[in-house]
Amino acid sequence: MISVRDLRKHYQVHKRPPGLMAAFRSLIHRTYTTVKAVDGISFEIKPGERVGFLGPNGAGKTTTLKVLSGLLHPSGGEVMVDDHVPRHREDAFLKKIMLVMGQKQQLLWDLPPSETFELNRAIYDVSRAQFKQTLDELVTLLDLGDLIGKPARQLSLGERMKCELAAALIHRPKVLFLDEPTIGLDVSMQVTMRTFIKSYNERHGATLILTSHYMDDVAALCPRVIVIDKGQLSYDGGLDALVQRVRPEKRVVLRLEQAVDVARLAALGKVVTHDNATAVLQVPQEAVNTTVSRALSTLPVQDLTVENAPLEEVMSELFAETKARRETVSA
Amino acid sequence: MLRRYIRLLGVQLRASSLLAMQYRGDFLVEGLISLFGSATALAPLFIVFQREEMRIEGWGFGEALLVIGWFTLLQGVLEGAISPSLTGVVEHIRKGTLDFVLLKPADAQFLVSTTRFLPWRATNLLAALVIFVYAFHLLGRSPSPVGVLASLVLLATSVLLLYSLWILTVCAAFYVVKVDNLTYFFTSIFDAARWPAPVFRGTLSFVFTFVIPLAVMTTFPAQAMLGRLPWSSLVWAVVGSVLFAFISRRVWLHAIGHYTSASS
Amino acid sequence: MSMRGTLRAMPTLLRVGVSEAVAYRAEMFIWVLSTTMPFISMALWTAVARYAPVGRYTSADFVRYFLAAFVVRQMTGAWAAWMINYEVRQGTLAMRLLRPISPLWAYAAENLGAMPLRLVVVTPVAIAAVYLQGWSSVPQTVWGWAFFLVALFGGWLITFLVNVALGTLSLYMESSTKLMDVWFALFYVFSGYLYPVELFPPALKGLVDWLPFRYQVGLPVELMTNKHDFWTALTLLGAQWLWVGLLLLVSVVLWKRGLKRFAAFGG
Repeated sequence: MISVRDLRKHYQVHKRPPGLMAAFRSLIHRTYTTVKAVDGISFEIKPGERVGFLGPNGAGKTTTLKVLSGLLHPSGGEVMVDDHVPRHREDAFLKKIMLVMGQKQQLLWDLPPSETFELNRAIYDVSRAQFKQTLDELVTLLDLGDLIGKPARQLSLGERMKCELAAALIHRPKVLFLDEPTIGLDVSMQVTMRTFIKSYNERHGATLILTSHYMDDVAALCPRVIVIDKGQLSYDGGLDALVQRVRPEKRVVLRLEQAVDVARLAALGKVVTHDNATAVLQVPQEAVNTTVSRALSTLPVQDLTVENAPLEEVMSELFAETKARRETVSA
Repeated sequence: MLRRYIRLLGVQLRASSLLAMQYRGDFLVEGLISLFGSATALAPLFIVFQREEMRIEGWGFGEALLVIGWFTLLQGVLEGAISPSLTGVVEHIRKGTLDFVLLKPADAQFLVSTTRFLPWRATNLLAALVIFVYAFHLLGRSPSPVGVLASLVLLATSVLLLYSLWILTVCAAFYVVKVDNLTYFFTSIFDAARWPAPVFRGTLSFVFTFVIPLAVMTTFPAQAMLGRLPWSSLVWAVVGSVLFAFISRRVWLHAIGHYTSASS
Repeated sequence: MSMRGTLRAMPTLLRVGVSEAVAYRAEMFIWVLSTTMPFISMALWTAVARYAPVGRYTSADFVRYFLAAFVVRQMTGAWAAWMINYEVRQGTLAMRLLRPISPLWAYAAENLGAMPLRLVVVTPVAIAAVYLQGWSSVPQTVWGWAFFLVALFGGWLITFLVNVALGTLSLYMESSTKLMDVWFALFYVFSGYLYPVELFPPALKGLVDWLPFRYQVGLPVELMTNKHDFWTALTLLGAQWLWVGLLLLVSVVLWKRGLKRFAAFGG
C-alpha cells in the first residue's frame, strides 16, 4: 500500500546571526546552509496496518508525512501510496487520503462544523446518501450531538478536535495520516480519540500512520513503530520488541504496608524510586521471578505488579543511544 | 468538470453569505463606511475641476467623473470579491493551513479565490451608477447602446485583469515570509486608476498601459460610454486580459510548486 | 516603571526595532513600493498645471511639492493602531502588559526603529529633487531647516498618537480598524497629501487650519518647500504642537482607561 525507498528531503535555510551589523550585512549578502530533514528512509506498509512514527522533535516525522500526502516534493528517493505517486497530486489520490494536524485546523472558524462538512462533501464528491450515513456514524461514535451546530470558535479545544476528525473522515479516506492529533487534549478526550481511531481502522480497514509524543497514544494504537531520528530510520518493528531491545529490564512496583529501609530494597534490585508507601525496583528480565518471590517473603508488601519501563524512558534512552552512536561516528 | 466547479462555487457562496449574515451589525456599518469612502474619493476631482472650463489633457469634469465612476465600481469588485479571499492566502501561509487547501481534490487557485465575499460592497455599484447618471446629466447627453455594451465587455476584462493582478501580488507571499501590507500596496497602486490615462506620460504611461493596465480598466470603459473607444482598443483589451490571466495562472502554479518544495 | 528606567531601556528597544525593520527586506521593498500616491499626484497635477499654473503652483512647484510629500509621508508614518488591534484580538497584549515598561513605548520604539531605513530611502529622493528642481526643493534658511525638522517630528507624533487613540478603542469595542479607515478617508481629503491645501476653495480653507490632518503631512511639506515666511511658519508650528498636546492627553487617558477595562473583562 505504502512504499518508501531511500527518501530524502533537504532544505536551504538562510542563516540569520544576531546583532545589528549582521542584520544590515544580511540585507546585501545572505548565507545558506543545507538542512537534511529526511536523509534516506525506506519502509513498506501494508493495507490496514497501524503504524506509529516516533522520534524527537525535528526528527523528520512531519516532513515524511507531508511527502506521503503529496504536500512536499522529495529531494530524492521513491514514494508510492496505493499505486499513486503523491507529488503528482492526482484528484483520485487526494480523495483517498487525509492528513489531520493536531495544531492546525481546517474547520471554518466562524461557521458551525456542519458547514465545513457540507463543503467537504461537495469538494470530495461524496453522494448525499453516503454522506448522511457517514455523518450519522461519526456523530454517534464521537458523540458530537449539537456541537456541529455551534460556530467553531465557540467550541473548546477538545470539541474542536473531535469535529476536526469528523471533517477529515467525511470522504472515508483509505489512508489516514495523523500528525500529533491529541496534543493539548485532556486525558479523557485523548482516550476518546484513541478508541475512535482504532475502531475506525478496524471497521473500514483504513491504513493509519500516527505521529505522537504521547506514548500512550502509540502504545494503545500502534503495534508497529518506526523510529526516525535526525532524518534517519533507527528502528522499524513491533513496539514490544523495541522495548525489549532498549530496556529489557522489568520494573517491579511494590505497594508497602509500612516504610522500608532503602538498604533492604537495594538488596533486591536497583531502586528507582521509593517513599513510605511505594517502591519501584528495576531488575533484569531473568531475575524477575526470584526478586518477586523474595520481595513477597521478606518485605511487608500489600500489592505488587511487574511492568515494562515507561515508554517515555525507553524512547529517551533510544534517542540518547542513537545520538551517542552518531557522535562516535563523526568523531 | 465545469459543472463540478460551478457547484463548488455555489457552496462557497453559500458559506460566505452565511458568514456575512452572522455579523449583521457590521453589514450596515461597513456599507456606510464604503459609501463614505466613495464620497471622499471625489474630493480630488472637485479640487482639480474648481474652474468650470478646466480640462486636463482633453478631459472635462463630466468625462473625468465617468472615469471615477468606473474606478468606484471596480473598487467595489476588488474589495468585495477579490481581496477578501486572496488576503486569506497570506493568512494560510502564515498559519500553515494552506496544506489543507492543497490536500483537497480541487484546484487550489479556485478554492482560495472563492472563500470569502463581502456583499455590502455592492454599495459601490450603487455609488457608481449615481456617478454615471450625474456625469451624463452634466454632459447633456446619454451613452449609446453600443457604447454601454462595449463598456460591459470591458467590465468583464477589467475584473479579469484585477483578479490576475491580485493573484500575481499574492504569489509574492509564497516567496517571502512576511508580506503584511499587500492590500495596502495594491490599493496604493490601483489608486492611479482614478484619473484619465492621458494624464500619465512617458514611462508611467507605458507602465499603466502594459504592465499594470490601469488605463484599460477605467479609462477604456469611460471612453466606450462616450462613444470614443476605437474597436481595435476593445479587441486589445480582451486579448490583453486573457493573456494576463494566462500569465498569472502560470506564476501561481510556479509559486505552489515552490511552496511544496521548500517548506516544512 | 520609572521614567529613568524607561529611558535606559529605550536604546535597546530602538536597536531591536531597527533590527526587525532590517530583517525583512522584501516587506520593506513592498512597503516602499506602496507609497506611490505622491508620484501619481505628481503626474496628475503637473498635467493640470501644464498650460497654466494652479494658484501659485507651477508644474515645477508641483514636482517639488510631491517629492517632498513622499519624503514626509515616509518619515511620519505610523501603524500602531493595527498593531494594537491585532494584539488585543490575539491576546498577546496581555503578554506586553506583563513587562514593566508601558507597551506604548514599545510601539513607539518599533515605529522609530524603521526610521533609519526610511531615511536611507528618502535621502536619494530629496537629492533628486534638488538636482531636478534646484535648492528651493529643500529649506533654504537655518530657521527653515529647524522648523522643518520640528514639524516633521510633530507630524510623526500626531500620526502616532492618533494611531494609539484609535487603536486603544479596540479595548472598548470589537475592532477599531474601521475607524482608522474613516480617519484615512478624511486624511486623504484634508492633509495636503494628495494636493496642497492651498488649492482648497476659499470656503473650506479656514476649516483646514483647525483640523489635525494638515499638520500630519501638509505642514512639513510646506516648510520643506519654503512656502511660508517666518511668522506664518511659527504660528502654524504652534498650532501643530497644540494638536500634539491635545492628542497626547486624549490617547493617554483612553489608554489608561482602556487597560482598566481590559483587566476587568479579561484578555
